[in-house]
Amino acid sequence: MADLWRRGGAGAVRRSTRAWRVRTSAVIMAAVVLAVLLVPPLAQLDEQAVDLSAKLLPPSLAHPFGTDDVGRDLLLRCVYGLRVSLLVGLVAALVATVIGTAVGACAAASGGWVDRVVMRLVDIFASVPHLLLGIFIVAMFQPGVWPVVISVALTHWLSTARIVRAEVLSLRSRPYVDAAVSGGASRWRVTVRHLVPGVLPQAGLAAVLMVPHAIWHESALSFLGLGLPTHQASLGTLVQSARGSLLAGDWWPTLFPGLFIIVPTLAIAGLAGAWRERLNPRRRSELTL
Amino acid sequence: MTFGKTAPAPGRIPWGPMARMTGRRALFAVPVLLVVTFGAFAIAAASPFDPVKAYAGTAGLTASQENLDQLRANLGVDQPLVSRWWQWLTHALSGDLGDSSVMRQPVTQVIGERLGWSVLLAAVAFVVAVLLGTALGVLAGRRTGGWCDRAISSLAYTLQAAPPFWLGLLAVWLFALKLGVLPAGGLTDTGSTEVTAGQVLSHLALPAAVLAASQLPWFVLYVRQGVADALDEDPVRGARARGLAPRTVLLGHALRSGMLPVLTLIGSRVPELITGALLVETVFSWPGIAAATVEAATAVDFPLLAALTALATVAVLLGNLIADLLYGLADPRVGFDG
Amino acid sequence: MRARSIRGTGALAAVAALAVAASACSAPGESGGGSGGAKDSAVVGIAYEPESLSPLLGYGKDGNSKIFDGLLTHDADMSLRPALAKALPKVSDDGLTYTYQLREGVKFSDGKPFTAQDVVFTYETILDKKTNNASKGELDALKGVEAKGDDTVVFHLTYPYAPFAERTVLPIAPEHIAGKQDVNSGAFTTKPIGTGPYKLVKWSKGEKLTFTANPDYWGGAPKVKDLTMAIIEDDDIRATRLRAGDLDGAILPPNLAGTFAGDKDRTTYAATSFDYRVVTLPTHNKVAGDTAVRRALDVAVDRKAMVDSILEGAGKEAYGPVPTDSEWFTKGTERTHDLAKAKKILDDAGWKPGENGVRVKDGVKASFPLWYKSGDKLRQDHALAYASDAKKAGIEIKVQAGTWEVIEPRMKTDAVLAGGGAPADPDFDQYTLLTSELAGDGFNNMAWYDNPAVDKAIEAGRKTNDPAKRKAAYDTVQRELVKDPGYTFLTHIDHLYVVDTTFGDLTTQVEPHDHGLAAGPWWNIEDWQPKK
Repeated sequence: MADLWRRGGAGAVRRSTRAWRVRTSAVIMAAVVLAVLLVPPLAQLDEQAVDLSAKLLPPSLAHPFGTDDVGRDLLLRCVYGLRVSLLVGLVAALVATVIGTAVGACAAASGGWVDRVVMRLVDIFASVPHLLLGIFIVAMFQPGVWPVVISVALTHWLSTARIVRAEVLSLRSRPYVDAAVSGGASRWRVTVRHLVPGVLPQAGLAAVLMVPHAIWHESALSFLGLGLPTHQASLGTLVQSARGSLLAGDWWPTLFPGLFIIVPTLAIAGLAGAWRERLNPRRRSELTL
Repeated sequence: MTFGKTAPAPGRIPWGPMARMTGRRALFAVPVLLVVTFGAFAIAAASPFDPVKAYAGTAGLTASQENLDQLRANLGVDQPLVSRWWQWLTHALSGDLGDSSVMRQPVTQVIGERLGWSVLLAAVAFVVAVLLGTALGVLAGRRTGGWCDRAISSLAYTLQAAPPFWLGLLAVWLFALKLGVLPAGGLTDTGSTEVTAGQVLSHLALPAAVLAASQLPWFVLYVRQGVADALDEDPVRGARARGLAPRTVLLGHALRSGMLPVLTLIGSRVPELITGALLVETVFSWPGIAAATVEAATAVDFPLLAALTALATVAVLLGNLIADLLYGLADPRVGFDG
Repeated sequence: MRARSIRGTGALAAVAALAVAASACSAPGESGGGSGGAKDSAVVGIAYEPESLSPLLGYGKDGNSKIFDGLLTHDADMSLRPALAKALPKVSDDGLTYTYQLREGVKFSDGKPFTAQDVVFTYETILDKKTNNASKGELDALKGVEAKGDDTVVFHLTYPYAPFAERTVLPIAPEHIAGKQDVNSGAFTTKPIGTGPYKLVKWSKGEKLTFTANPDYWGGAPKVKDLTMAIIEDDDIRATRLRAGDLDGAILPPNLAGTFAGDKDRTTYAATSFDYRVVTLPTHNKVAGDTAVRRALDVAVDRKAMVDSILEGAGKEAYGPVPTDSEWFTKGTERTHDLAKAKKILDDAGWKPGENGVRVKDGVKASFPLWYKSGDKLRQDHALAYASDAKKAGIEIKVQAGTWEVIEPRMKTDAVLAGGGAPADPDFDQYTLLTSELAGDGFNNMAWYDNPAVDKAIEAGRKTNDPAKRKAAYDTVQRELVKDPGYTFLTHIDHLYVVDTTFGDLTTQVEPHDHGLAAGPWWNIEDWQPKK
C-alpha cells in the first residue's frame, strides 16, 4: 500500500502533520486490534444467530450499523469480518514473506545460473495478474479460509523475493561480510549468519505493507464468490451479500464493511510509511499497491 | 526509480537496439507462455470442481452415476493432464483453442466476441485515469503540503484503499437507483438486437468511471511526486532564480521532467488494470473477457482458462515491453539491455 | 394461481417513486407501451440459461420449450392437452402400450413436414448411450418406439408406468436436420428448428435469447412478435434492469419483488410451486439418523417464520414433498412449531443437555454439519434459520457452504439443504427422493432414507392407473414421513414474477423446482393479447 510522505523541503507544518498522521494511524490500529481481539470473547454473541423478526433495521442505538436481511447485527458482523480478514491478511503476508525471503536469499547467495533461473521464474510468475492467479489457485480448493490464505500468499511473495535479493547483494559488498568470507566461513553460513539478519528489517516492512494488500485480495476473491462462504463474515462476503439490500435502497449493509476495509488500510499504510522513512531515510518513497 | 532528470536531448530514435530488445522479449515470451499455460492446466486438474457436473447443469443433480460416467467419457476429461495440455498446445498453434465448456462455443469465438468490449472499457478508463490523474497530480505537486495537495492526496489514498467493487456498487446505488441517470449494467438495452454507439456510451459511463477511479490514485501520487521533485531540482531552481514566472517554471520545466518517467511507466500498469477490470466487469455485468474469466474459473473450463491466462500474460508482457522501450527512449542511460 | 402482490409498505413507497423516475429516464422506444399500436414485443429477464437448445440433450423435457412442441402439453391447471398428437394417447389395458395419433399438416419452421419418424428419432436418440442427455433415466420404463405410417406412434413399456403420458411432453426434434449432425455438439444444439410458436433468431450466450413469432404456427401466429429472454444470473442486477425499464418482466426473489409492490405499471405474479426446500437427515449420521432427533427437529423448526421472513410471505410451510394445497396432500400431516414438544422428545429419548446447551447421548454430541450450495442465498438463509431453531432445542448444526462437487461426497453422513419438486405427478420426485433403492445414487435419495413401508407404497403408486389406489399409496408415504422424518421439509416457495401491466392479466402454472425459461407468466406468451 502507499506511503509517500514526501521528504525534503521540511517545514514545521509538514513535520507536525506527519506526526499527527502517525499518531492517528496508531490510535486506529490499536482500536482495531483491541476490537478484533476482545469483542468476540467478551460479547459471547453468536454472530450467525438469525433473528428473522429484526431484518434490515437501519442504524440505531441498539444496532449502530443496523441489521442485515436475516436480522444479524452488522457492527458485530463487521468486527467478526475484520477479524477474519485481518487474520487472513496477517497469515498470508507472513507466509509470503517467508517464501519471498527464502527464495530471494537463496538466489542471491547461490548466484550464477541458479540466481538467473530463479529470478526468471519470479518474472514468469509476475507476468500473470495477481488476482487472476489467485482465482486459479482458489479454484483448486473448496471455498474457505485456508485456500484464500494460500492463494494470497502464493501470489504475493514475488516482490519480497526481489527486494530481499537486492538487499542481500548490496549487503554482500559490505566490509564485515568480506571479512567473514575471507575468514573462511562458508557461503551458506555467511548468508544465514550475516545476510539474512541484515535483510530482516526490509522483509518485515514488506510484510507489513503486504497486509492491507492481502486483505484487499481476500475481499475481492470473496466478493467474486470464490473466497470465503457467504454465511461466514469477512469484509468481502459482507459487501457481496449486501448487494440485494443495496438495490432495495438499504445502503448500510454495503457502506460499513467498505469503510472497514478502507480505514485500517490507511492506518497500516500510515504506520508503515513512517517505518519505511526511518529504515530508508535516503531512499525516495515509491508507490506500491 | 529515478525521478526528475532533465529530459534527454532529442536525438535519433535507436531503432536497432529497440528491435533487438523486442526480439529478445518475444523469445522470452515462449517459455513464459509454456509455463503459464501448463500451470493453468495443472491447477485446473488438481481442482475438486467437476466439469461434468458443470456441463450437466441442474439435470446433473438427478442424473444417475452411469449417465455421468458416460458424459465424462464423451467430454474427454478423463485423459491425463499432460496429454490434454499437449493436445491443446498443438491445436492452439494452428489457431484452434478448443471449445469452451461453460460458454458452449469455440474459445476463439468467446474471445473474439468479448475482447473488444474489454479493451474498450479498459482503454477509456485508462485514458481518463491518465489525464485526470496527471491534472490532479500537477495541482497537488505544485505546492506540497498546501490544502490543495492535502485534499487531493487524501482522496487518492482513500480511493487506493477502497475496493473497486465497493466503489462500483455505491456508484450503481447513486447514479442508477437514486438519481436514475445512468444504466446499472450490461452493454445495451436488452430489448434491442443491435448495438448502437449511443447505447454503448451510456452503458460504458459508469463502469469506465469506476475503473478509472480505481486506477487514478497511482497516477495522481506519482505525478505529484515527480512534479514536486522536479521543482526541487537545480535546473528548476535556477530557472526560478532567473526570475521566470512560476507558471512557466511549472509547465515548462517541472511538468516535463516530472512527468516523463511517469508516462513511460504506464505500460507496467497492465496487471492492475486487468485486476480492476475483473471486478468492475463483474459488478456491471459488462460482457467482456474479465467476466468470462470468473465464470471459467468457477466452472473449471480448461480451454477457456488456459487461453485467457495466456492472453493476460501476453498483455502483461506487452505492457512491460512498451514501458521499457519508452523508458529507454526517455532515459538513454538505461538503454535497451533488458 | 395468480396473486397481485399486496406487500406494499411505506418504506417501499420511496423506492417505487424512484423506480418511476428511473423508468422515465430509460432508453427511448423501450417498453413505452402507450405509443399507438398494441405492444408486440416482450423482454423478460430469467435467471438460468439452458445448457443447450436441443431436446435431444434435455432442453424443454418438462414441456413448454417455445421453439418445439411435445406430443402433449400442459394447460394452466397442469392437465395434459394434446399438442403434436391429435388427442390424448390410447393406453392398453395392461398399461404397457401407448398409442398417439399425430396432428396433420404440422410443419417445422423450415417448411418440412412433421412426421411419426421425427417422434421415433427423438426418443431413440435420447435413449442412445452416446447421447449426453443427463435425464434419460426419466424414460427408464420405455422399451421402444415405433411408427405406424406417418401419423401414428406406439410406445412400448417394460413395466406399466402410471405417469408415462406426462413424459411425452418432451419436445420433438426434426430428424432431417438433427439426424445429420453430431447429437452432442452439432449446430442444432445452438440453432434449433422446431414446430413451436417461436423461432430462435439469435442466442448470445450468457446474455440473451431472441425469438420471433412463427407465422405458420399450427396453433395460430402469436400476437407478441418479438420475444427476448435476457439471461441475468444475478438477482440484484435483474431487479435493477427491470426497474430501469430495460426489461418488461423478470423473475425475482421475494425481497426484490417486494420493492415493486407500489409500482402501478407492474404487476407481481406469484406462481405456486412444488418447489420445496428440505434438509436431508442422513441415515448414516449418528445424530441425524436418530428417529428422535429427526422428530424433534421436525417440530422445533419454525416454518411460518421462514415463510414470513425469508420468503416474505411468498410460499407455504412444507411438511412433505406434496404442497398443502395439492389434491395429493394428506390432510392431518401438518406439524406445528412446538419447541417444548421437541425438547420432550429429546429428553424422553435420552438426549440430555450437556456443555453449552448442546445435548449428549451415550457420549455422542447432538451436532452435525449442514451444507448448502455456495452462492444460493435462499438456501443459505433457510440453513441459518434452521440451525438457529435447532440450537434452541439443544441440537448444534454447523452451517457450511460448498459447491456440489464438495458436498456430494459427504452426503452420506452430512445434512444438505436441498431442493426439488415436480408438479406433474407425485411419482416424479417421491420415487427419486425416498426409495431406498436409489439411496446415494447421485442426487437421488440424498439422505439414504430407508423405510420399507415407503418403498412399498411408492412402488404400488407408480404401477397402477387406479386413482384411488394411487392416492392411498401417496397418503401412506406422507404419514410415514411424520413417523420417521428423514428429511425436514421447510417451505414450498412461490416463484415471483414482476411484469409490465401492458400485457394485461396473465396466468401462471404450478411450477416445478427446475423452472426453465418457459415457466412464469410467459408460459403461454403465444396466447397473450397485449393491450393498446
